[in-house]
Amino acid sequence: MTFKLNIITVSLLAMSGSVVAANFGVGNANTESVNMDKYQCKRCVSATGYTGSVTLLTGYNSPEDAHAGNALSSDEEGVIAAISGDVRYLNDTGYKASMQAHQLGMDNGFANIKVGKSGLYELELDYQAIKTFEAGDVRSQLWQNDGMLTPSVYPNQFDLALQRENSAIGFSFGEGVYNTFVRFSQEEKTGHQSASFVAPSPTNFGLPVDSTTKQLDAGASLAGDNWLTELNYFGSYYSNNIDDLSLPYMNDVYSAAPDNQAHQLSISGQYQLDRTVMSGRLVTGRMIQDDSLIQVSGNPLQSWDGQIDTFDGRFAVTSMLNNRLRVGASVDHSKRDNKSSSWEFTQYSYNSLSGAFKQNVPQDIERSTYKLNASYRLASGYRVQAGFDRKEIDRSYSEREQTDENNLWAKLNISALDNVNINVKASHGVRGGSEYEVNELTSSEDNALMRKYYLADRTRNAVELKLNHSLLSWVSIDLTGRYAIDDYNATTIGLTESQDYGYDLNISVQLSKDISAYGFAGQQWIDSTQAGSQSFSSPDWQANIQDEFINLGTGISYSGLMEDKLTLGGDYLFSNSISDTYLDGSAVTNSALQYGDYFAYNHSVNMYANYALSPKMALKLSYQYERYYDTDGAQMGINTVPGLTTLGELNHDYNAHQVMLSFSYLLR
Amino acid sequence: MICRIFNKVLIGIAALACISLSVNATPWDKLTGDQLEQQLTEKFTQGQYSPKGADSCLMCHRKNEAVMAIFDGAHGAMNNKQSPMAGLQCEACHGPLGKHNKGGKEPMIAFGDDSKLSASAQNSVCQGCHNDPKQMAWHTSTHNLEEIACADCHNVHSAKDPALDQLMVNDTCTSCHLKEKADMNKRSSHPLKWDQMTCVDCHSPHGSMNESALNKPTINDTCYSCHAEKRGPLLWEHAPVTENCVTCHNPHGSVNEDMLNSRAPQLCQQCHAPDGHASRVVQEPGVDAFGGGKSCLNCHNKIHGSNHPSGSLFQR
Repeated sequence: MTFKLNIITVSLLAMSGSVVAANFGVGNANTESVNMDKYQCKRCVSATGYTGSVTLLTGYNSPEDAHAGNALSSDEEGVIAAISGDVRYLNDTGYKASMQAHQLGMDNGFANIKVGKSGLYELELDYQAIKTFEAGDVRSQLWQNDGMLTPSVYPNQFDLALQRENSAIGFSFGEGVYNTFVRFSQEEKTGHQSASFVAPSPTNFGLPVDSTTKQLDAGASLAGDNWLTELNYFGSYYSNNIDDLSLPYMNDVYSAAPDNQAHQLSISGQYQLDRTVMSGRLVTGRMIQDDSLIQVSGNPLQSWDGQIDTFDGRFAVTSMLNNRLRVGASVDHSKRDNKSSSWEFTQYSYNSLSGAFKQNVPQDIERSTYKLNASYRLASGYRVQAGFDRKEIDRSYSEREQTDENNLWAKLNISALDNVNINVKASHGVRGGSEYEVNELTSSEDNALMRKYYLADRTRNAVELKLNHSLLSWVSIDLTGRYAIDDYNATTIGLTESQDYGYDLNISVQLSKDISAYGFAGQQWIDSTQAGSQSFSSPDWQANIQDEFINLGTGISYSGLMEDKLTLGGDYLFSNSISDTYLDGSAVTNSALQYGDYFAYNHSVNMYANYALSPKMALKLSYQYERYYDTDGAQMGINTVPGLTTLGELNHDYNAHQVMLSFSYLLR
Repeated sequence: MICRIFNKVLIGIAALACISLSVNATPWDKLTGDQLEQQLTEKFTQGQYSPKGADSCLMCHRKNEAVMAIFDGAHGAMNNKQSPMAGLQCEACHGPLGKHNKGGKEPMIAFGDDSKLSASAQNSVCQGCHNDPKQMAWHTSTHNLEEIACADCHNVHSAKDPALDQLMVNDTCTSCHLKEKADMNKRSSHPLKWDQMTCVDCHSPHGSMNESALNKPTINDTCYSCHAEKRGPLLWEHAPVTENCVTCHNPHGSVNEDMLNSRAPQLCQQCHAPDGHASRVVQEPGVDAFGGGKSCLNCHNKIHGSNHPSGSLFQR
């Protein structure tokens, strides 16, 4: 009887196979015949105890320029040392712990510790340091102390670099059906960044950075067989330890970023009804900033009541109508309601207090996005997708208070051919909106022919082709080519056209069990055209900006040498970023027409040898070389131009080296 | 005695056949994806699970390192009741054994590049257990609509899942996202190429209810999570900054410094053409305060907004 039933079931399934999608979830398994008491798993391998490795690194660092610290994780000249590790622990009762560390002791590194019981609870501790270097040994005549920038004949020397140190603790608890979590993190950001003030002539200086951002997140979720729901809170608290900056002869020439906080409460859910899935979310938020205002004549407030209420809502549905056709739709609504008060404040003119008053304009922004999409399987391995997206944006106090963008797109996916996947995508988008007006509160002084590019009418057409070809079982090729053109057809002054096109090619080769190699090449061009009017009438100058990027790389790894003890490998990367600006028009008197050089290139070489000293110990010797050169025609000497003080020429030209020897102890 | 030796030889041949089948062509290679899915669905419904669980599978597959690596990760843990290895073991994911071990002619549910099984069928295995808030937006996500399989990014037969490790996740993403891989190497970009930041710091690969599968409700909220000093609200707002950070910046990287789409003064002049200095053509960089140093930002340095009562022109 059972046999007959099975035959009937199978026959029904065979008939309905084209309608019902396979669902191999373990919850649907037919386990009638299973008797787990007979399971022994003698051949299973127990992973209890400690596994992983601990690695000590030491080496010699020769950055030549602080900027090399980005690639070498340290700008220190000389001997460097660090510790890395990846250790896991598991016991018989399911308690587990893991610890991952990467280059602890260097400027860039992280550590993460997790302890808990599988599937029940987990405590996580996390630390990450990121340091980004812009330029080293920058000099300024200004010394900052307690909000006062004091000029001195002795130059203040510092690095333009920002160090972030983030520490976090998190705890999660739950058993599948319900889950909860709470996480607190604190990030300290310190260093200097390039800035400038006007007093009354412009002076570039190193803005000291010292701030703390605290983040508190918590949430709870519930899950059923065909539904999910989640409630979350996200809170962020920013505190700046640097005051407003003054000069001995002029107060508050540079206002500090004010302390602020933001809160968001989110509830989201998903419901699955057969082959239709619906999901939705509501987020309500508030951003608050009521830091003390600088006290100057004409300021009526001690502190401003900056407050923005936000609301974000979304509903999306997708449904497999049959095995060939999927349709989907979504609606998003986002509102930024600026509740801050509006007052009149005295403004400065170019070089002195003019006495003119100006009112701050708290801007509201509201966005709605509607999307429709469909995917249809034409035949096995042939699929076509199409969709229509519409975005509407309303903004107050703007030259154009309403814009809308309609975008139609289509894709063709072909996977039916042997070893080749082809994807073609094309889209056509048109942006329009309300009448473009010169608004009194924003830019009444602008040329009436100006159309700001983020508000202007625009037609955007784009095509993209992606190929993936497994030439042989051991060679894989990926090729992407793309072209996009933005036409700002109603713009006479401003950005009028932009083209973005390029390709990326990637080849991966598995030459043998032990030898793998890769190579990639890519280029991108972005050509933009804009017009301006020096005479405040029709266009009398044009700028053609031609950006170009080249990216090449290759690498090889050869393992299994010396009876599986030695692995050799190397990677090479070249990239070149170029931006050329060409000027033309009756207002242009310079015969050169072309701007000065603006490019940056680098060669990166990394070579390594891994040697297994024993089943428990390994050595790695690596060498990294960085050749970096950049130039910017706008960079100039500290006092090259009367009335402008710069931080000097901060271009880079260096060869950096790093040799590292690491010793790893394998715990199992 | 002769029978015993004969039996051992037979078992040896069978074992070798199993091992070779696991790496070479299989009898079900000739099936189309639809036929394979139908056959596996029938097997799944019949539910002919092996009598001994994983031992039945490992009799043939234990010499395959990739197979045995399951025990290094969470999915191979036997002491976690939520782990497949604590339940139906290998068959929890690969489906009932059926007659697969009798001549190796019956397919099992397989994952990854070489599997002909549709992504949705493969993913149904994972989703059978992973029904948690991280998957909340999966069904409407681009990755789902593009029929990306979980196994295209994740590897559960491993101590380290390449999609969950900070040092590997960027490589996982950029194995498909070639343009973004190139962008990391531009003159200015977020520090992704050194794995100090990762793609998942901003994006949710499983989809999200936000634009571009971002982790935060808006683009600006995403930026503020690391750049909280720009969040404000500020007394004097710069409208395009408030509206959308990517009006001026490309967070994936740019040939210009500060990830700017263009450089000052031209970038500023794409929006500002007053009857005054901002309209003038800057003919050469590095010769005056308009085209030298920080260009427009020499004076209008608080370009992201100012909280100075007299900062309406972003000079203070």
